[in-house]
This record gives sequence, C-alpha cells and structure tokens, in this order.
Amino acid sequence: MTGQPFPYLLLPTFWSARNRARRREPGDSARMMLFGGIGVGVAAAIFAVVFWLTWQLDYYEELGDYLIRLGLSWLFLTFLSFLSFSGIVTALSTFFLSEDLRLLVAAPVAPARLFYSCFAKTVAQASWMVATFMGPVLLAVGLARCAGPLYYVAGLSSLLPFVVIPVALGSMVTLLLVNVFPARRARDVLMLMGLLFAVSLVVMLRFLRPERLLDVQTLPDVTAFFATLQSPVTPLLPSFWAGETVFSGLQGGVDWLHAGALWTTALAFTVIARAAFGRYYFSGWSKAQEARKARFTRLRALDTLAHSLPVRPLGRSLLLKDLKVFLRDTTQWSQLLLLLALVLVYLYNFRVLDLERIPYMGAMVKNVYAFVNLAMASFVMSAVAVRFVFPAVSAEGPAFWIIRSAPVPMRSFLWSKFWTGLVPILVLSEALTVVSNRFLGADPFLRVLGAVAIFFMTFALVGLATGMGAQHPRFNAENTTQVAGSYGGIAFMVLAVLYILAMIALLAWPSSLYLWHRFREDPVPALDRAWMVLCGLLAIGLSAATFWAPMQKGIRSLEEMG
Amino acid sequence: MILVENLVKKYGAFTAVDDVSLEVAPGEIHGFLGPNGAGKTTTIRIIAGLLKPTSGRVLIDGQDLATSAEAAKASLGFIPDRPFIYEKLTAGEFLRFHGGLYGMDGDGIGHRLAEVLELFELTRWEGELVESFSHGMKQRLVMCAAFLHRPRAVLVDEPMVGLDPRGARLIKQVFRHMSARGVAILMSTHTLEVAQEMCDRISIIQRGRIIARGTVEDLRRLAGGADEQLTPVFLKLTGGAGLQEIDEDL
Repeated sequence: MTGQPFPYLLLPTFWSARNRARRREPGDSARMMLFGGIGVGVAAAIFAVVFWLTWQLDYYEELGDYLIRLGLSWLFLTFLSFLSFSGIVTALSTFFLSEDLRLLVAAPVAPARLFYSCFAKTVAQASWMVATFMGPVLLAVGLARCAGPLYYVAGLSSLLPFVVIPVALGSMVTLLLVNVFPARRARDVLMLMGLLFAVSLVVMLRFLRPERLLDVQTLPDVTAFFATLQSPVTPLLPSFWAGETVFSGLQGGVDWLHAGALWTTALAFTVIARAAFGRYYFSGWSKAQEARKARFTRLRALDTLAHSLPVRPLGRSLLLKDLKVFLRDTTQWSQLLLLLALVLVYLYNFRVLDLERIPYMGAMVKNVYAFVNLAMASFVMSAVAVRFVFPAVSAEGPAFWIIRSAPVPMRSFLWSKFWTGLVPILVLSEALTVVSNRFLGADPFLRVLGAVAIFFMTFALVGLATGMGAQHPRFNAENTTQVAGSYGGIAFMVLAVLYILAMIALLAWPSSLYLWHRFREDPVPALDRAWMVLCGLLAIGLSAATFWAPMQKGIRSLEEMG
Repeated sequence: MILVENLVKKYGAFTAVDDVSLEVAPGEIHGFLGPNGAGKTTTIRIIAGLLKPTSGRVLIDGQDLATSAEAAKASLGFIPDRPFIYEKLTAGEFLRFHGGLYGMDGDGIGHRLAEVLELFELTRWEGELVESFSHGMKQRLVMCAAFLHRPRAVLVDEPMVGLDPRGARLIKQVFRHMSARGVAILMSTHTLEVAQEMCDRISIIQRGRIIARGTVEDLRRLAGGADEQLTPVFLKLTGGAGLQEIDEDL
C-alpha cells in the first residue's frame, strides 16, 4: 500500500461517483434535466453577456483594452476571495470530518500521500464552481476578440495555480483552527462565518443602490469612477497575476513574469501546506476525534411556552422536540439569517421603488405591483417551505423508529409537523405582504385582498409541502438540503409554482374588474359580480384542495410504510 | 402477552419470514435465535409495528396490531439493534419526549424518569446531549425509554451489542427483574451464552421459518447431543456444524 501513488486514494471517490451514476433513483433523470438545463442556461447567458460586452468594448480601442484588463483582474479578485473562504470550509470536511479518513489514517499510508489526496479533493471541491463560471467567460472574451491559441493556453494554465494558492492558504487556516477548536465546533464557527459573509454581501450589494447607475444625473465623472474601480486591484495578489497572464494571451503574447509568479507561488504554498500538515495534522485529527462535552442552550423558555399552549401532551412533545432539534442545529437555524437578509432586501426594494416617476400610470402600476408582490411573497414562501417544511418528516432520519413504534397515530404526527411549519411561515408571509403593500402604497382594497389571499395560500403551500414531504421521505439523507433537492422537492416546487400562478390569475382578473368599475364610479354589473364570486370560490376551493389532498395522501403513505 | 400467528413477509419473490407463529407469556423471556439473514430482525420489526406483514396476525396484550395499532403499541416497549436517537436532545429531554408519545405528562413523569435513569446508571448524564454519548450509553438510554411507560411486553433486538461487561450484567439483571414483575420479553440475540443463561424458552429461525422451539433442554434433546453449551446445539440445528470443525482445525 505504501508504494501506491496518492491518486490511488482517490479511486473510491471516482468509483462512488460512477456507481451513483449507474444506479439511478426514480426522478434522477428529471432532476438531471432540470438542473442541467438551468446550468446550461446560466452558462449560455453568461457567455452571451460577456461576448456582447467584449464586442462593444472593441469599439473603444485603448479604453476598451483597459476595461477588459481591469475586468479580468476584478473577476479574478472576486474569485480569489470566494476560493479562500471555500478552501477553509472544504478543507475542514476533506481533511478532518470525512467518513473515510478513519480507514485511511489507520492504514499504512504515508502522510504525504494522504495530504496530496485530501488536498486534491479540496482543490476540486472548492473550485469546481469557479472553473465552471470562468469557462464561458474566458471563452466569450476569446471568441469576441478572435484570440489565438496562446490565449486559451494562458487561460487554462493560469486557472490551476490560481485556485491552488487560496485553497492551500485556506487549508492551512483550517489546520490552525482545528488545532485550537474541536473540529465539530470549528465547523459551526465556519458555517456561521460563511453565512454572515453571504448575508453581508447581499445586504451590501443592495444598499449600494445599483439602480442609481441608471440615473444619469447622479453618475460621478468617469475619471473618479475608474479611479475607484482600480484601487483594490493590487499587483501583489494572484488575481492580478492571473488577469495579466490571460490579458497578455489575448494580445497574442506571453507574460512570463506573472505566469511564473502564479506557478511558483502555487508550488511554494503547496510545499508549505504539506510541511504544516506533516507537522500539525495528526494533533488536529486527534482533537477532531475527541468527544468533547457538547455545549448547548437549554431553551427552557420553550418548555414554558409549550406548556402554556392549549395542546395535548402528544402534540406538545412533538412540538418541543422539533423546535429544540432545529434550534440546536447550527446548520439549520443559521440559514434563517440568510432568509432574514433576503426579506430585508425584498422590503427595502419596495421602500425605494419610485413609481411616481411614471406620471399618469402610477396608481395602475402600483396595483399591478400588488399582485406581483403577492406572487413574489408566495414564491419566497414556497422556497422557505421546500427548505424547512418539506424535509420535516425526513428530518426524523434513522430515529423515526421511535415515532413508528410508539402509540402515535401517523395522522397526529403529520398534523403536528404541519402546525409547527405553518405558524412561523404564516407570520412571515403575512408580514411580508402587508408591509410591502404598505410601502408600495397599493389600493386599500388590494391590501386587504393580499392579506386574506396570502393566509389561504400559506395553508395550501404548507399543506402541500408537509404532505409531499411525507409521500417522498428520504430518511437516509445526510442533510435537509439534500431532501429539498430530491425528486419530491422538485415536484413540490413545480406544483407550488402552478398553484401560485393559478391563484394570481383567479384573484387578479376579478380585482381589476372591480377597480375598473370603481375608478369609473360605475356600479359593478350583475354578470361581472357573478364572475368575481365564482373566481373567489374557485380560489378558495383550489387552496383547500392543495392543502387537504396532499396531507391525506401523506398520512396514508406514512401509515402504509414498510 | 405477545402472540404471533402465521406471519409472512415477502419482498417481491423473496420470502423473508415464512409462516412464523410464536407466543410469549407474561413473565417469560423468550429467546429468538438464528443465523444472519434468517429473518429475526424482520420478525421483530413487524411485531414492533415498523414493518407491514404480507399476511398473518400480531396481538399484543390481546390487541391486534393491524386494527388497534395504538392500543397494541401502548403496551409494548421496543429496543432496536442500533440506537438511533435525536442527537440534539439531552437524555432527559429525549425521555420526556418519549413519555409524551405514550401519553405520560405532568409531574408523574419526573419521578419515573429519575427511576429509569437510576436503574440504567445514567442519572449524571440526564442533562447532556445524546450526541456526546458512546454507543453503549445510547443503548442504555434506549432501554430507559423502552421501560419508561411500564410496558407489559418488551421486544429486544440484539441487546448486548456495544455494551461493556458491566453494562451487559446490568441489562441481564434488569430483564430478570422485569420478567419477575410479569413483563413478557422477546429477545433476538446472537450471543448464545446470554440466551442460554436468561431465556425460559427459545425459538430458532432459519430461512424465515421456525425450525425448533423449546427450553434449552428441549433443544439439546432435539439436536441429539449431550453438550451442555448451546453453541453446538445451535450449529447442529442450523446446519452450521461444519463451522465448528473448521474452527477446531484452525
């Protein structure tokens, strides 16, 4: 074994991927087509935009070249920060938490081989998204500028050292962290840091108010604008070297200095990381295995709260268990931070939306927006439901035997999951709709309609998510994200979107009729009134069916399990 | 207390459990033995209400599991072979939750909880998260849960897996104590010494069918040997006698 080169240790990863591809589960093809289609669509869109931009910049000669050069450096700089963080998180998993490590560490495998195999996995896992995104960008620039083969060689040869440098650095940070904290605690810290990073990025980008760029009066003068852009691109960063190497390839030359800097730094970082891991890996690994006394919050307030609720002991037990398990799992509750940020950005958009700029149409556009708002709030709700409610049954995991062997009717169990999911989502969706309609200044009739409609829609969508989650459980899933991305999760999203569109159609048309007659100060004719009532009844019926049928099917499915 | 009649479980063309019938009386410890893949765990999981049988009937304390599942399960405690529990709950919270599933609530549960934790030597771990427990501790916690609601019948799948000698002795004592108080225990195990030492009667299952049943004495007679140990009798009955010869040759 000790004589085998390090790629031998990567064989199980390849074999597992091959076996997964061979043994398909129901719905795999549909999922692959959907996600593959989305992926190809995004890549095509990126390609088209970058191609068009590069093509346009060609008209500006020197300024165009300058902007492409600057753009490449900025692109590489963005990815450098992403890769540094991604490297830290991935290294924690590949070097310290991966299940196969116990086998490998116990086997007579030379430390250097173990390091190189783990490092190769880290580089691949941390950078595949960057490589996938860079592909269409570099291809579009090359094709728009009719670049020669040197450009493509430069692009490909820069990518590897460019990703190795931040990942090596990230791995060393992880090594340090694991030697200070236990690995599982470090994972929580990193998870939280990552989410805060994402949240601050989203909030910062929105609060920069990019829409101001469309307002010519507020644009700064061009020199000041470029001066601002240029300042963070420092020649000491690998992103600058990669940008320069690729740009010189685009010009038909070879920038040996920056290409050399990239490769030598990548090699040096790998050697340093290898030495650091040789020295400190085993102590970190050993710490990661120690079962430290788990720290957690008692959440006694929840006990008090649950006991004050007028529910049966069974319902109380299930509610308390679900809440405590959720709140003690950092990977679960921390995602609420991201959700909160998105909601803030969503509401902020309505706050700054300036519809008064459209003089005579303001009122009408506002009313149309009220329905767009209803649809958007429902989509947000569906996304929250697929992430938190749909996996509720699957989240029982291998411990589901406890419920199934207890004298608990599956009906009570599933209804408990429904109510636990419904209450927070109802509060969120009502708040979202009411506040955004207020910011928007929508007609009072539409504000009331929106609040009532979202009430029914929340019941329907939470019922759909709970019921479908029970019909398509994945008790062996490693995390809830996997459950949300399963065949059942995708089927839920498709049905949810169809339901939302149908509801919007059923509500928007009669509302427009009513507002039209009110605007003209006409009484609503009897036939139109009948249509409005019919649409209302259809909307209620559709919501009731969407809520009730999946719940009943879910209960039956749980009862017939095994 | 536990009555199983003509139980059959098929997975497509494969019959995992083939016409199994057994009865465990109150206070009896009934051993359920068989080679790997013989159908022990499948049978136990059907009796626990985790699997639906293809045909046959299971009655717990006179309640039919198919028609009165809740009533039947209320009299039953189940200890699975692998102790999967909610990792993010403390031992105390898990037991309170478990009690809630069986309708136990209010102040009464606190006293009972302290009793079972004391019984299985987990009192000082009551406030700790399950994720920090060893396998053996989790196994003992599952046993606490199984006995918490004072069941009249208990199903145990491989009780000694992962337990240290002290834990194993403790479990044996608890089972004997419970059996003396009238609890019926159906126990599947590979540890033949445990079966020999504890069980009043033993059923041996092979390829989904019960091939022998009785006391250790009965089985010994059936195998036609005078050995005192159960292992050679088991190997003879299940067709694994050759294994013992190989073992001796080695």
